Amino acid sequence: MSTEVASPPTSNTPTTQILPLELIEKCIGSRIWICMKNEKEFVGTLLGFDTYVNIFLKDVIEYENTPEGTKQIKLEYILLNGNHVCLVIYRSSVIIID
Amino acid sequence: MSAVAPSTTSASGGAATSNNNNAQFNFFKMCIGRPVVVKLNNGVEYRGILEVVDGNMNIVMEQTEEYLNGQLKTKYGDCFLRGNNVLYISAQSKK
Repeated sequence: MSTEVASPPTSNTPTTQILPLELIEKCIGSRIWICMKNEKEFVGTLLGFDTYVNIFLKDVIEYENTPEGTKQIKLEYILLNGNHVCLVIYRSSVIIID
Repeated sequence: MSAVAPSTTSASGGAATSNNNNAQFNFFKMCIGRPVVVKLNNGVEYRGILEVVDGNMNIVMEQTEEYLNGQLKTKYGDCFLRGNNVLYISAQSKK
């Protein structure tokens, strides 16, 4: 009985599994939203990334959340260090709930 | 069956990383000798001519200007920035 319970997950995994970085790769060319560990966010078109999740972006807006409000900075091309990247979100998949 | 699946996934993953390293390498090539803005994790911004950059984002710049809260603080002729402090490197496209 216990062996039957254990077997289904192993048979399922090879067909359905997708690596995290493959998911990011599918976003190449589209607008993404990146949240950093600190109060910073970036929105831009994903051009590339590497295994450290250093991210190469085009037509970027940097949002910096400060106590005085959100500061926006526009940048054309950036190579963002992956060290402080927390969240990478495909832009049109966002549903904001109040 | 199980032996085949991991090999195919790893192969596609390898191809992906080589492409992406290319993208990064192209960015470095695009930027060198041109004015860039480098922002550090502590919020300090450096503007100058990019001389050299490596995979760790260690950077050597010329005619560097140090900005703190958008205000020019210091100028340096040559400067080296250790990569771990770098938040991003930003460049303008050619006109």
